[in-house]
Amino acid sequence: MKKALSILAIAFGMHAASSAAFDLGKILQLPEENRQQKTEQAAQQPSSQAAGLSPLMLLGKTSVEDEVRIGRQVAGDLLGAAPLVKDAALQRYVNTVGRWVASQSNRKDLNWHFGVIESEDINAFAAPGGYIFLTKGLYKRLNNEAELAGVLAHEIAHVSKKHHLDLLKKSAMIGTLAQSVSREVKSGDQAVQNLIGNGAEMLARGLDKEAEFEADRIGAVFAARAGYDPWGLPTVLQDMATLNTKDNRLALLYKTHPTAADRLARLGEAVGNRFDSLPTGKEFPDRFYRIK
Amino acid sequence: MKRVCGILALSLASSLALAAPGVALKDENILSKPAATSAAVGKMSKGMPVDIVAKQGGWLQVKAGGKQGWVRLLSVRAGSGGAGGNGLAGVAGVAGAVTQKSDPSRVVAVAGVRGLNEEDLKGAKFNAEELAKLEGYAVSASQAKAFADKSGLKAAKIKALPKPGATAAEGDSL
Repeated sequence: MKKALSILAIAFGMHAASSAAFDLGKILQLPEENRQQKTEQAAQQPSSQAAGLSPLMLLGKTSVEDEVRIGRQVAGDLLGAAPLVKDAALQRYVNTVGRWVASQSNRKDLNWHFGVIESEDINAFAAPGGYIFLTKGLYKRLNNEAELAGVLAHEIAHVSKKHHLDLLKKSAMIGTLAQSVSREVKSGDQAVQNLIGNGAEMLARGLDKEAEFEADRIGAVFAARAGYDPWGLPTVLQDMATLNTKDNRLALLYKTHPTAADRLARLGEAVGNRFDSLPTGKEFPDRFYRIK
Repeated sequence: MKRVCGILALSLASSLALAAPGVALKDENILSKPAATSAAVGKMSKGMPVDIVAKQGGWLQVKAGGKQGWVRLLSVRAGSGGAGGNGLAGVAGVAGAVTQKSDPSRVVAVAGVRGLNEEDLKGAKFNAEELAKLEGYAVSASQAKAFADKSGLKAAKIKALPKPGATAAEGDSL
């Protein structure tokens, strides 16, 4: 219950400051048509008027604007756990490579953001709206720009497919249902306010395995479309496969992802001979930015 | 080649392995060259331990069951042991051993390093200052395009990969 609520808190993080109280039970009682209509209205609201996220935004079609707000909240929370590596050249480089790969996706119009965060963990994260992170620990294991592109492309694929947004929607629905049954909390505002700042928790829960396999397939293709060697992501997975699965630096990654061996096998099934005729992609081992 | 030797030396020192270990992920022919059209020189079967000798594009040169030749990169997983590496080979890398640069930090023992865990994320407090920095590093689509043009990175039309076992219509559409 608490978990479900904390996820809702992301959506209401900025909303809580306003005085508008909401009743989750009421949301549930709205007829489907009415609910959809309200969601669309909320989505059309100009940003100057939208003081907070619409309570209904997660129940129907979410506007890009709302998606970005959720992503900003999650990104800001993650940065609260691990700040950016203080290396402007590194951050600009990762943004440049990432932006070029994202331009090959179906969401090239988002304002994409990429960051390397200060952690020896080996992991990468995506938040809705185009916020992508990888840890310093993962970055240091990369050997060329194609591998970086592959890692970023996997995360870009999560945003393309709105995997995390869908997860939030599911959680919100479950939370709403649980709320109406238990009636533990009378007023949403207080409960939500208590839980602000937990946006990054979504990243600790992870997606289902199929979403990860899908992001591997799409990511390898995005990187190749950008002109990179398509074997960048598989090579990073091979590197992870060599590490002991009990390595502390992989604890969160393996809590939220299938094993590297499973990912390689599944990607292999999808790729087969399909990359045989691709033009030779670029790797750029020499210009790859090395962290000092 | 020199870099490869460096890493292999580290690997030797720590695990006495001559080549980087791996495990076959599927039954597959071992080919004489890194090309699908080349002749088969042997066979590896799923679960068979292999030694990875070299990497070239989407191919790995392996020794398996007394035969040496090439198999697809995604038909083998690097590392030995169960689902993951055994921690010995992991230190020096495997596909790592043949593809990666020597990095002294890679051989440092890491058992005591505490990572970014679930509790860290749950307890995280929104950091507006860092978020503003992140947004300050943003690169526009046109800047990225200029970067790509300058370095000869050309956008290519490449079909999405199908979901294994799915019909074409169910495949990834992106």
